[in-house]
Amino acid sequence: MELSEVLTAKLKEMLKPVNGFHMNSSITCLRIMQAVLEIKKDNDIVIVSKGHSAPAFYVMLWKLGLLTDDELMTFAHIDGLPSHVARGLPFIEVSSGSLGQGLSVANGIALANRIDGKEGRIFVILGDGELDEGQIWEAAMTSAHHKLDNVIAIVDRNFHQLTGGTEEILAKEPLAEKWKAFGWEVREVENDVEKLKKVIMELEKVKGKPKVIIARWVE
Amino acid sequence: MIESFREAFGRALVEIGRENERVVVIDADVKGSTRTVYFEKAFPKRFIQVGISEQDMIGTAAGLAIAGKIPVASAFASFLMRAWEQIRNTVARDNLNVKIVSTHSGFSDHMDGSSHQCLEDIALMRVLPNMRVVVPADAYATRVLLKQIIEIEGPVYMRLGRDYAPRVYNDGEEIVLGRANVLREGEDILLVATGIMVSVALQVADKLREAGISAGVIDVHTIKPFDEDTLLKLAKRVNTVVTLEEHTIYGGLGGAVAEILSEKMPKRVIRIGTTEFGRSSRDYISLLDRYGLTADKVYDKIAGVV
Repeated sequence: MELSEVLTAKLKEMLKPVNGFHMNSSITCLRIMQAVLEIKKDNDIVIVSKGHSAPAFYVMLWKLGLLTDDELMTFAHIDGLPSHVARGLPFIEVSSGSLGQGLSVANGIALANRIDGKEGRIFVILGDGELDEGQIWEAAMTSAHHKLDNVIAIVDRNFHQLTGGTEEILAKEPLAEKWKAFGWEVREVENDVEKLKKVIMELEKVKGKPKVIIARWVE
Repeated sequence: MIESFREAFGRALVEIGRENERVVVIDADVKGSTRTVYFEKAFPKRFIQVGISEQDMIGTAAGLAIAGKIPVASAFASFLMRAWEQIRNTVARDNLNVKIVSTHSGFSDHMDGSSHQCLEDIALMRVLPNMRVVVPADAYATRVLLKQIIEIEGPVYMRLGRDYAPRVYNDGEEIVLGRANVLREGEDILLVATGIMVSVALQVADKLREAGISAGVIDVHTIKPFDEDTLLKLAKRVNTVVTLEEHTIYGGLGGAVAEILSEKMPKRVIRIGTTEFGRSSRDYISLLDRYGLTADKVYDKIAGVV
């Protein structure tokens, strides 16, 4: 079995007792998380703004040996793994669960790093449905205005949100043009670990503006 | 002597910024009105502008705190409340070291009317776990308490009026975060006040004394955590406790006092504050008078029921 198949199988096993809690959102987010965690350096920070993809994140921690099989199965138990990512978990700097807030936090960390002359990228994983939240666009303006080129947003473009297709609930397209108009460097790529890693590397060369990768789910 | 809350805040921020390099100030395009513009001029690299976006401002402050800064996010109280959910879910839930300082609270933005007059913020902030709620009585208390909230770890909501800050304290007087200040001892009635209503409470106590009624006065500058010991110690001597706040009587200081007394020392509690939205006024004092918050109106209300 390919690694992605192993991870997906693990995710399904983990979510079986909880009726597949946000299964689809987690499956499409798995490869984005894998790419980010494989590329992450010590001083990089990862913010899971779409906190309901927590199961995918836990599966990645399991793959990295940071969670055991038993721990994975404690998902959403009172004293087990929280249903949405929470501060205190490995790599998690800020609790999530309420959509639209992660990009602002990323900007704050980037601004603090700038004051301190510290290096490090801040990856923010966003849902495409999450882009309905106005705060995302407030934050997008802040990142661009302050030229926060260490902020890298990755949109899980799976075309689904809670009650239907993204274009049917609230149209996002033309999405790339929107980010561009907000002053961001934009890349559109398939939701694939190696392709995502390659784009992240390429974007290192772009200076003076924040970057967003729209990771399209094609399966 | 009447000073200005926001002037005291803006100037104290600069003093604090000089001593503590971790302090960073964030603004939602109201720096002139809040007086954080003084900090911007003194420390431009530690001043962050996010534009008219209070929700983004709170999230950005959270990020700054995560990265080790002490962010002071400041705006008008009314419009900070649109970020209540951000304050709840990103700041309070993770117990982040974000200092939220609101200005123009209560009726103090008299000219701008009901949209700008914030009479609900104490209640909204008080219900959040981890959040401390601080309401200074005057400009001196603003300076002293601001320094203390910067020193402690964790989220704080500090509530300031705009300009009208009658002096309650003399320079050098002790004000300790978390400890209510007993300003008068009294045997018949206890006035428990916060913000500018502390000065009103002192005037009312004087008038009551002339009428032969001995009134105690305490300044609850820290509404959360509430100094229950001081309240209970003073309330023990009296039959009636009156709370005074430039805020709705629901869930603010009056609510907090009623909760504590009903559970630990049942007493009659009269809550003086508002129950309505505000309105525009060219003059702040006439607005306070309309809503029953001047010394004369408070005295009449107390005299009518005691």
